[in-house]
Amino acid sequence: MLRVKSGDLDKMGLLFERYHRPLFSFLYHMTGTAETSEDIVQNVFYRMLKYRHTFTGEGEFRTWMYHLARNVLNDSIKQNKSKNHEDVHVMADRIAGGNPADEEFEKRQDAESLHRAMAQLSEDHREILVLSRFQELKYEEIAGILNITEGTVKVRVHRALGELKKVFLSNENQRKAHDL
Amino acid sequence: MKIKGKHMTCDHTKAKFTDWLNKPSTDPEKIRIEKHLAGCPDCQQEFNEHKLLWDMMGEAKVKAPSESMRANFNSMLGEYKGSIKQKDRYSFENLVQAVRQFIIPQWTVQLTFSLLLVGLGWLIGFRMNRNEKASTAYTEQIDTLANQIQEMRQVMMLTLIENPSATERLRAVSYTNEITHADEKVIEALFSTLNNDPNVNVRLVTLEAITQFANDPLVREQLVHSLTKQDSPMVQVALADVMVKLQEKRSIKAFKQMLRQEDLNELVKNKIEQTIKDLT
Repeated sequence: MLRVKSGDLDKMGLLFERYHRPLFSFLYHMTGTAETSEDIVQNVFYRMLKYRHTFTGEGEFRTWMYHLARNVLNDSIKQNKSKNHEDVHVMADRIAGGNPADEEFEKRQDAESLHRAMAQLSEDHREILVLSRFQELKYEEIAGILNITEGTVKVRVHRALGELKKVFLSNENQRKAHDL
Repeated sequence: MKIKGKHMTCDHTKAKFTDWLNKPSTDPEKIRIEKHLAGCPDCQQEFNEHKLLWDMMGEAKVKAPSESMRANFNSMLGEYKGSIKQKDRYSFENLVQAVRQFIIPQWTVQLTFSLLLVGLGWLIGFRMNRNEKASTAYTEQIDTLANQIQEMRQVMMLTLIENPSATERLRAVSYTNEITHADEKVIEALFSTLNNDPNVNVRLVTLEAITQFANDPLVREQLVHSLTKQDSPMVQVALADVMVKLQEKRSIKAFKQMLRQEDLNELVKNKIEQTIKDLT
Protein backbone atom coordinates (compact mmCIF):
# COMPACT_ATOMS: atom_id res chain seq x y z
CA MET A 1 0.00 0.00 0.00
CA LEU A 2 2.88 2.35 0.69
CA ARG A 3 3.93 1.88 -2.92
CA VAL A 4 0.42 2.77 -4.02
CA LYS A 5 0.63 5.84 -1.83
CA SER A 6 3.89 6.88 -3.46
CA GLY A 7 2.18 6.81 -6.85
CA ASP A 8 2.48 3.21 -8.08
CA LEU A 9 -1.25 2.81 -8.64
CA ASP A 10 -0.81 -0.50 -10.49
CA LYS A 11 0.02 -2.12 -7.16
CA MET A 12 -3.60 -1.54 -6.24
CA GLY A 13 -4.48 -4.49 -8.49
CA LEU A 14 -2.33 -6.73 -6.31
CA LEU A 15 -4.07 -5.55 -3.17
CA PHE A 16 -7.41 -6.17 -4.82
CA GLU A 17 -6.46 -9.74 -5.67
CA ARG A 18 -5.32 -10.40 -2.14
CA TYR A 19 -8.11 -8.77 -0.18
CA HIS A 20 -11.27 -8.53 -2.22
CA ARG A 21 -12.52 -11.99 -1.17
CA PRO A 22 -12.23 -11.59 2.59
CA LEU A 23 -13.60 -8.09 2.27
CA PHE A 24 -16.53 -9.28 0.22
CA SER A 25 -17.15 -12.05 2.72
CA PHE A 26 -17.19 -9.62 5.62
CA LEU A 27 -19.62 -7.32 3.84
CA TYR A 28 -21.78 -10.20 2.71
CA HIS A 29 -22.18 -11.35 6.29
CA MET A 30 -22.95 -7.83 7.36
CA THR A 31 -25.35 -6.81 4.61
CA GLY A 32 -26.73 -10.13 3.42
CA THR A 33 -26.70 -9.20 -0.26
CA ALA A 34 -23.98 -9.92 -2.76
CA GLU A 35 -24.90 -6.97 -4.90
CA THR A 36 -24.61 -4.43 -2.10
CA SER A 37 -21.41 -6.10 -0.89
CA GLU A 38 -19.84 -5.89 -4.32
CA ASP A 39 -20.78 -2.24 -4.55
CA ILE A 40 -19.26 -1.57 -1.18
CA VAL A 41 -16.07 -3.49 -2.05
CA GLN A 42 -15.75 -1.33 -5.13
CA ASN A 43 -16.37 1.75 -3.07
CA VAL A 44 -13.77 0.71 -0.49
CA PHE A 45 -11.10 0.21 -3.12
CA TYR A 46 -11.99 3.57 -4.66
CA ARG A 47 -11.57 5.23 -1.28
CA MET A 48 -8.21 3.50 -0.85
CA LEU A 49 -7.07 5.23 -4.02
CA LYS A 50 -8.59 8.55 -3.18
CA TYR A 51 -7.45 8.67 0.43
CA ARG A 52 -4.18 6.80 -0.04
CA HIS A 53 -2.34 9.73 1.54
CA THR A 54 -4.11 8.98 4.86
CA PHE A 55 -2.47 5.56 5.07
CA THR A 56 0.45 6.16 7.39
CA GLY A 57 1.97 2.68 7.19
CA GLU A 58 2.10 2.48 10.97
CA GLY A 59 -0.77 0.01 11.35
CA GLU A 60 -1.61 -3.03 9.28
CA PHE A 61 -3.03 -2.43 5.86
CA ARG A 62 -5.83 -4.86 6.69
CA THR A 63 -6.84 -2.79 9.70
CA TRP A 64 -6.99 0.33 7.59
CA MET A 65 -9.02 -1.55 4.96
CA TYR A 66 -11.59 -2.65 7.54
CA HIS A 67 -11.76 0.92 8.86
CA LEU A 68 -12.68 2.13 5.39
CA ALA A 69 -15.06 -0.77 4.83
CA ARG A 70 -16.91 -0.07 8.08
CA ASN A 71 -17.26 3.59 7.15
CA VAL A 72 -18.67 2.78 3.73
CA LEU A 73 -20.92 0.15 5.26
CA ASN A 74 -22.27 2.61 7.82
CA ASP A 75 -22.95 5.14 5.08
CA SER A 76 -24.83 2.60 3.01
CA ILE A 77 -26.82 1.39 6.02
CA LYS A 78 -27.83 4.97 6.81
CA GLN A 79 -28.87 5.50 3.21
CA ASN A 80 -30.89 2.29 3.00
CA LYS A 81 -32.54 2.57 6.37
CA SER A 82 -34.95 5.23 5.22
CA LYS A 83 -35.52 3.68 1.79
CA ASN A 84 -36.07 -0.02 2.10
CA HIS A 85 -35.44 -1.66 5.39
CA GLU A 86 -34.89 -5.24 4.48
CA ASP A 87 -36.50 -7.83 6.65
CA VAL A 88 -33.89 -9.81 8.58
CA HIS A 89 -35.58 -13.05 7.67
CA VAL A 90 -35.36 -12.35 3.98
CA MET A 91 -31.74 -11.48 4.49
CA ALA A 92 -31.07 -14.70 6.41
CA ASP A 93 -32.78 -16.77 3.76
CA ARG A 94 -30.68 -15.23 1.11
CA ILE A 95 -27.41 -15.85 2.96
CA ALA A 96 -28.33 -19.49 3.58
CA GLY A 97 -28.76 -20.12 -0.11
CA GLY A 98 -31.45 -21.41 -2.40
CA ASN A 99 -33.37 -24.62 -2.34
CA PRO A 100 -31.82 -27.19 -0.08
CA ALA A 101 -30.66 -30.43 -1.73
CA ASP A 102 -31.84 -33.65 -0.13
CA GLU A 103 -28.45 -34.89 1.10
CA GLU A 104 -27.39 -31.69 2.61
CA PHE A 105 -30.82 -30.84 3.82
CA GLU A 106 -29.81 -30.98 7.48
CA LYS A 107 -26.70 -28.94 7.03
CA ARG A 108 -28.53 -26.44 4.92
CA GLN A 109 -31.13 -26.06 7.52
CA ASP A 110 -28.51 -25.55 10.21
CA ALA A 111 -26.78 -22.97 8.11
CA GLU A 112 -30.06 -21.24 7.49
CA SER A 113 -30.84 -21.20 11.18
CA LEU A 114 -27.42 -19.86 11.97
CA HIS A 115 -27.67 -17.03 9.49
CA ARG A 116 -31.17 -16.25 10.59
CA ALA A 117 -29.90 -15.97 14.12
CA MET A 118 -26.91 -13.89 13.00
CA ALA A 119 -29.20 -11.50 11.19
CA GLN A 120 -31.23 -11.04 14.35
CA LEU A 121 -28.19 -10.00 16.36
CA SER A 122 -27.37 -6.39 17.08
CA GLU A 123 -24.97 -4.71 14.66
CA ASP A 124 -22.10 -4.76 17.16
CA HIS A 125 -22.48 -8.43 18.00
CA ARG A 126 -22.88 -9.53 14.43
CA GLU A 127 -19.82 -7.57 13.46
CA ILE A 128 -17.58 -8.96 16.17
CA LEU A 129 -18.59 -12.53 15.36
CA VAL A 130 -17.99 -11.98 11.66
CA LEU A 131 -14.59 -10.51 12.31
CA SER A 132 -13.46 -13.10 14.82
CA ARG A 133 -15.00 -16.22 13.31
CA PHE A 134 -15.67 -15.69 9.63
CA GLN A 135 -12.72 -13.43 8.96
CA GLU A 136 -10.62 -15.27 11.54
CA LEU A 137 -8.88 -12.15 12.72
CA LYS A 138 -6.94 -12.06 15.97
CA TYR A 139 -8.44 -10.17 18.89
CA GLU A 140 -5.56 -7.75 18.71
CA GLU A 141 -6.39 -6.89 15.14
CA ILE A 142 -10.10 -6.61 15.83
CA ALA A 143 -9.31 -4.24 18.68
CA GLY A 144 -7.41 -2.09 16.19
CA ILE A 145 -10.25 -2.10 13.68
CA LEU A 146 -12.96 -1.26 16.19
CA ASN A 147 -10.81 1.13 18.23
CA ILE A 148 -11.45 -0.77 21.44
CA THR A 149 -9.19 -2.71 23.82
CA GLU A 150 -8.43 -6.38 23.40
CA GLY A 151 -10.26 -7.08 26.68
CA THR A 152 -13.39 -5.43 25.34
CA VAL A 153 -13.14 -7.58 22.23
CA LYS A 154 -13.01 -10.72 24.35
CA VAL A 155 -15.99 -9.67 26.41
CA ARG A 156 -17.95 -8.67 23.34
CA VAL A 157 -17.22 -11.95 21.53
CA HIS A 158 -18.33 -13.84 24.58
CA ARG A 159 -21.56 -11.88 24.90
CA ALA A 160 -22.27 -12.07 21.20
CA LEU A 161 -21.81 -15.81 21.19
CA GLY A 162 -24.13 -16.06 24.17
CA GLU A 163 -26.76 -13.98 22.45
CA LEU A 164 -26.38 -15.95 19.25
CA LYS A 165 -26.95 -19.16 21.12
CA LYS A 166 -30.07 -17.73 22.76
CA VAL A 167 -31.52 -16.52 19.47
CA PHE A 168 -30.53 -19.70 17.68
CA LEU A 169 -32.12 -21.96 20.28
CA SER A 170 -35.29 -19.93 20.45
CA ASN A 171 -35.52 -20.06 16.65
CA GLU A 172 -34.99 -23.80 16.73
CA ASN A 173 -37.70 -24.24 19.29
CA GLN A 174 -40.08 -22.11 17.22
CA ARG A 175 -39.29 -24.14 14.15
CA LYS A 176 -39.80 -27.40 15.91
CA ALA A 177 -43.10 -26.18 17.31
CA HIS A 178 -44.05 -25.03 13.80
CA ASP A 179 -43.04 -28.41 12.31
CA LEU A 180 -45.11 -30.24 14.88
CA MET B 1 -19.43 -22.67 50.22
CA LYS B 2 -18.55 -25.57 48.08
CA ILE B 3 -21.40 -24.88 45.71
CA LYS B 4 -20.58 -21.21 45.55
CA GLY B 5 -16.97 -22.05 44.81
CA LYS B 6 -18.01 -24.43 42.08
CA HIS B 7 -20.25 -21.85 40.51
CA MET B 8 -17.49 -19.28 40.58
CA THR B 9 -15.28 -21.69 38.73
CA CYS B 10 -18.12 -22.38 36.29
CA ASP B 11 -18.58 -18.66 35.62
CA HIS B 12 -14.88 -18.32 35.20
CA THR B 13 -14.81 -21.21 32.77
CA LYS B 14 -17.76 -19.94 30.77
CA ALA B 15 -16.07 -16.60 30.43
CA LYS B 16 -13.15 -18.44 28.90
CA PHE B 17 -15.18 -20.38 26.28
CA THR B 18 -14.29 -18.08 23.49
CA ASP B 19 -10.65 -18.18 24.56
CA TRP B 20 -10.75 -21.92 24.36
CA LEU B 21 -12.24 -21.77 20.91
CA ASN B 22 -9.49 -19.46 19.71
CA LYS B 23 -6.49 -20.95 21.39
CA PRO B 24 -4.33 -23.91 20.36
CA SER B 25 -4.71 -27.15 22.27
CA THR B 26 -1.33 -26.86 24.01
CA ASP B 27 -2.25 -23.65 25.81
CA PRO B 28 -2.20 -24.21 29.63
CA GLU B 29 -5.35 -22.09 30.00
CA LYS B 30 -7.14 -24.38 27.56
CA ILE B 31 -5.98 -27.47 29.43
CA ARG B 32 -7.33 -26.04 32.69
CA ILE B 33 -10.70 -25.33 31.05
CA GLU B 34 -10.85 -28.86 29.69
CA LYS B 35 -10.10 -30.24 33.14
CA HIS B 36 -13.01 -28.31 34.56
CA LEU B 37 -15.32 -29.35 31.76
CA ALA B 38 -14.51 -33.00 32.34
CA GLY B 39 -15.83 -32.76 35.88
CA CYS B 40 -18.75 -30.42 35.25
CA PRO B 41 -21.54 -31.67 32.95
CA ASP B 42 -23.38 -28.36 33.33
CA CYS B 43 -20.57 -26.39 31.86
CA GLN B 44 -19.87 -29.07 29.33
CA GLN B 45 -23.37 -28.84 27.91
CA GLU B 46 -23.14 -25.10 27.58
CA PHE B 47 -19.73 -25.39 26.08
CA ASN B 48 -20.92 -27.94 23.56
CA GLU B 49 -23.69 -25.66 22.44
CA HIS B 50 -21.18 -22.88 21.97
CA LYS B 51 -18.83 -25.13 20.11
CA LEU B 52 -21.61 -26.33 17.85
CA LEU B 53 -22.44 -22.80 16.86
CA TRP B 54 -18.79 -21.95 16.49
CA ASP B 55 -18.18 -24.89 14.21
CA MET B 56 -21.29 -24.11 12.23
CA MET B 57 -19.96 -20.63 11.66
CA GLY B 58 -16.68 -22.12 10.57
CA GLU B 59 -18.42 -24.29 8.03
CA ALA B 60 -20.62 -21.54 6.73
CA LYS B 61 -19.70 -20.79 3.19
CA VAL B 62 -20.02 -17.50 1.50
CA LYS B 63 -20.54 -17.56 -2.17
CA ALA B 64 -17.73 -16.12 -4.21
CA PRO B 65 -18.08 -12.62 -5.50
CA SER B 66 -19.00 -12.37 -9.16
CA GLU B 67 -16.35 -11.97 -11.84
CA SER B 68 -17.81 -8.64 -12.83
CA MET B 69 -16.41 -7.24 -9.60
CA ARG B 70 -12.85 -7.62 -10.83
CA ALA B 71 -13.73 -6.10 -14.17
CA ASN B 72 -15.45 -3.22 -12.40
CA PHE B 73 -12.43 -2.73 -10.21
CA ASN B 74 -10.06 -2.68 -13.16
CA SER B 75 -12.13 -0.17 -15.06
CA MET B 76 -12.41 1.97 -11.92
CA LEU B 77 -8.64 1.84 -11.44
CA GLY B 78 -8.09 2.77 -15.06
CA GLU B 79 -10.50 5.67 -14.85
CA TYR B 80 -8.91 6.88 -11.66
CA LYS B 81 -5.42 6.80 -13.15
CA GLY B 82 -6.73 8.72 -16.13
CA SER B 83 -8.32 11.36 -13.94
CA ILE B 84 -5.12 11.73 -11.92
CA LYS B 85 -3.12 12.35 -15.06
CA GLN B 86 -5.64 14.88 -16.25
CA LYS B 87 -5.60 16.53 -12.89
CA ASP B 88 -1.86 16.75 -13.10
CA ARG B 89 -2.10 18.31 -16.49
CA TYR B 90 -4.80 20.77 -15.60
CA SER B 91 -3.81 21.42 -12.02
CA PHE B 92 -3.84 24.99 -10.84
CA GLU B 93 -0.09 25.12 -10.38
CA ASN B 94 0.53 23.89 -13.90
CA LEU B 95 -1.91 26.43 -15.22
CA VAL B 96 -0.21 29.26 -13.36
CA GLN B 97 3.14 28.02 -14.61
CA ALA B 98 1.91 27.92 -18.19
CA VAL B 99 0.38 31.38 -17.97
CA ARG B 100 3.51 32.72 -16.40
CA GLN B 101 5.66 31.24 -19.10
CA PHE B 102 3.34 32.62 -21.73
CA ILE B 103 3.20 36.13 -20.32
CA ILE B 104 6.73 36.46 -19.03
CA PRO B 105 9.19 34.23 -20.84
CA GLN B 106 12.60 33.65 -19.31
CA TRP B 107 14.48 36.11 -21.48
CA THR B 108 12.31 39.05 -20.46
CA VAL B 109 13.28 38.53 -16.86
CA GLN B 110 16.93 38.59 -17.83
CA LEU B 111 16.43 41.64 -20.00
CA THR B 112 14.60 43.47 -17.26
CA PHE B 113 17.44 42.81 -14.88
CA SER B 114 20.08 44.03 -17.28
CA LEU B 115 18.05 47.15 -18.05
CA LEU B 116 17.64 47.77 -14.38
CA LEU B 117 21.39 47.50 -13.85
CA VAL B 118 22.10 49.89 -16.71
CA GLY B 119 19.53 52.31 -15.36
CA LEU B 120 21.09 52.15 -11.94
CA GLY B 121 24.53 52.83 -13.37
CA TRP B 122 23.20 55.78 -15.33
CA LEU B 123 21.50 57.20 -12.27
CA ILE B 124 24.66 56.98 -10.18
CA GLY B 125 26.71 58.51 -12.96
CA PHE B 126 24.20 61.31 -13.41
CA ARG B 127 24.20 62.14 -9.75
CA MET B 128 28.00 62.21 -9.53
CA ASN B 129 28.27 64.30 -12.66
CA ARG B 130 25.79 66.75 -11.29
CA ASN B 131 27.90 67.08 -8.16
CA GLU B 132 30.95 67.85 -10.27
CA LYS B 133 29.02 70.41 -12.26
CA ALA B 134 27.86 71.97 -9.05
CA SER B 135 31.42 72.27 -7.77
CA THR B 136 32.69 73.79 -11.01
CA ALA B 137 29.80 76.20 -10.96
CA TYR B 138 30.79 77.09 -7.45
CA THR B 139 34.38 77.79 -8.35
CA GLU B 140 33.21 79.72 -11.38
CA GLN B 141 31.06 81.79 -9.15
CA ILE B 142 33.97 82.44 -6.84
CA ASP B 143 36.13 83.40 -9.78
CA THR B 144 33.52 85.75 -11.07
CA LEU B 145 33.21 87.29 -7.67
CA ALA B 146 36.96 87.65 -7.39
CA ASN B 147 37.09 89.23 -10.82
CA GLN B 148 34.33 91.56 -9.89
CA ILE B 149 36.18 92.58 -6.77
CA GLN B 150 39.34 93.18 -8.81
CA GLU B 151 37.42 95.25 -11.29
CA MET B 152 35.82 97.18 -8.49
CA ARG B 153 39.23 97.88 -6.97
CA GLN B 154 40.56 99.05 -10.29
CA VAL B 155 37.63 101.38 -10.69
CA MET B 156 38.02 102.59 -7.12
CA MET B 157 41.73 103.10 -7.69
CA LEU B 158 41.20 104.97 -10.93
CA THR B 159 38.64 107.18 -9.29
CA LEU B 160 40.52 107.83 -6.09
CA ILE B 161 43.83 108.54 -7.86
CA GLU B 162 42.35 111.74 -9.27
CA ASN B 163 41.16 112.83 -5.87
CA PRO B 164 42.62 116.22 -4.74
CA SER B 165 43.45 114.86 -1.30
CA ALA B 166 46.91 113.30 -1.11
CA THR B 167 45.72 110.82 1.53
CA GLU B 168 43.02 109.55 -0.80
CA ARG B 169 45.50 109.26 -3.63
CA LEU B 170 47.82 107.29 -1.33
CA ARG B 171 44.95 104.95 -0.58
CA ALA B 172 44.26 104.58 -4.24
CA VAL B 173 47.82 103.54 -4.93
CA SER B 174 47.75 101.13 -2.02
CA TYR B 175 44.84 99.38 -3.73
CA THR B 176 47.17 98.34 -6.50
CA ASN B 177 48.95 96.07 -4.02
CA GLU B 178 45.89 93.92 -4.03
CA ILE B 179 45.47 93.99 -7.80
CA THR B 180 47.21 90.91 -9.12
CA HIS B 181 46.91 91.72 -12.77
CA ALA B 182 46.77 95.35 -13.71
CA ASP B 183 45.51 96.34 -17.10
CA GLU B 184 46.79 99.18 -19.24
CA LYS B 185 44.46 101.74 -17.73
CA VAL B 186 45.82 101.13 -14.27
CA ILE B 187 49.43 101.21 -15.43
CA GLU B 188 48.78 104.44 -17.27
CA ALA B 189 47.11 105.97 -14.26
CA LEU B 190 50.00 104.93 -12.03
CA PHE B 191 52.63 106.41 -14.34
CA SER B 192 50.73 109.60 -14.73
CA THR B 193 50.67 109.85 -10.94
CA LEU B 194 54.37 108.98 -10.73
CA ASN B 195 55.31 111.64 -13.27
CA ASN B 196 52.85 114.40 -12.43
CA ASP B 197 51.66 114.10 -8.86
CA PRO B 198 52.59 117.14 -6.84
CA ASN B 199 53.04 115.15 -3.61
CA VAL B 200 56.41 113.43 -3.19
CA ASN B 201 55.02 110.79 -0.87
CA VAL B 202 52.37 109.81 -3.33
CA ARG B 203 54.94 109.50 -6.05
CA LEU B 204 57.18 107.35 -3.85
CA VAL B 205 54.37 105.02 -2.99
CA THR B 206 53.35 104.90 -6.64
CA LEU B 207 56.87 103.95 -7.62
CA GLU B 208 56.77 101.17 -5.12
CA ALA B 209 53.45 100.04 -6.54
CA ILE B 210 54.72 100.11 -10.10
CA THR B 211 57.77 98.03 -9.17
CA GLN B 212 55.57 94.99 -8.62
CA PHE B 213 54.56 95.11 -12.27
CA ALA B 214 58.17 95.48 -13.44
CA ASN B 215 58.10 92.14 -15.20
CA ASP B 216 56.27 93.85 -18.01
CA PRO B 217 58.91 95.29 -20.46
CA LEU B 218 56.61 98.19 -21.25
CA VAL B 219 56.52 99.15 -17.59
CA ARG B 220 60.36 99.02 -17.44
CA GLU B 221 60.61 101.27 -20.46
CA GLN B 222 58.25 103.82 -18.99
CA LEU B 223 60.17 103.68 -15.72
CA VAL B 224 63.34 104.64 -17.60
CA HIS B 225 61.49 107.47 -19.28
CA SER B 226 60.20 108.59 -15.96
CA LEU B 227 63.79 109.16 -14.69
CA THR B 228 64.20 112.39 -16.62
CA LYS B 229 60.83 113.66 -15.58
CA GLN B 230 61.51 113.54 -11.84
CA ASP B 231 62.72 116.60 -10.02
CA SER B 232 62.49 115.40 -6.42
CA PRO B 233 65.81 114.00 -5.17
CA MET B 234 63.98 111.39 -3.04
CA VAL B 235 62.12 110.00 -5.99
CA GLN B 236 65.25 110.11 -8.13
CA VAL B 237 67.20 108.11 -5.53
CA ALA B 238 64.35 105.64 -5.16
CA LEU B 239 64.21 105.22 -8.93
CA ALA B 240 67.94 104.66 -9.03
CA ASP B 241 67.55 101.90 -6.42
CA VAL B 242 64.75 100.32 -8.47
CA MET B 243 66.91 100.39 -11.61
CA VAL B 244 69.76 98.63 -9.82
CA LYS B 245 67.32 96.12 -8.44
CA LEU B 246 65.87 95.47 -11.89
CA GLN B 247 69.32 95.63 -13.51
CA GLU B 248 67.82 97.86 -16.19
CA LYS B 249 70.77 98.77 -18.40
CA ARG B 250 68.78 101.00 -20.64
CA SER B 251 68.51 103.44 -17.76
CA ILE B 252 72.27 104.28 -17.92
CA LYS B 253 71.67 106.63 -20.77
CA ALA B 254 69.00 108.45 -18.84
CA PHE B 255 71.19 108.66 -15.75
CA LYS B 256 74.03 110.14 -17.74
CA GLN B 257 71.60 112.67 -19.11
CA MET B 258 70.57 113.50 -15.55
CA LEU B 259 74.21 114.03 -14.53
CA ARG B 260 74.42 116.80 -17.07
CA GLN B 261 71.69 118.74 -15.28
CA GLU B 262 73.21 121.65 -13.40
CA ASP B 263 70.79 121.90 -10.51
CA LEU B 264 71.18 118.25 -9.58
CA ASN B 265 71.42 117.50 -5.90
CA GLU B 266 74.89 116.49 -4.77
CA LEU B 267 73.58 113.44 -2.97
CA VAL B 268 71.61 112.39 -5.99
CA LYS B 269 74.65 112.92 -8.20
CA ASN B 270 76.71 110.53 -6.08
CA LYS B 271 73.87 108.04 -5.99
CA ILE B 272 73.51 108.10 -9.77
CA GLU B 273 77.22 107.66 -10.30
CA GLN B 274 77.17 104.75 -7.95
CA THR B 275 74.16 103.28 -9.79
CA ILE B 276 75.82 103.62 -13.17
CA LYS B 277 78.80 101.79 -11.75
CA ASP B 278 76.59 99.03 -10.44
CA LEU B 279 74.79 98.61 -13.73
CA THR B 280 77.89 98.43 -15.91
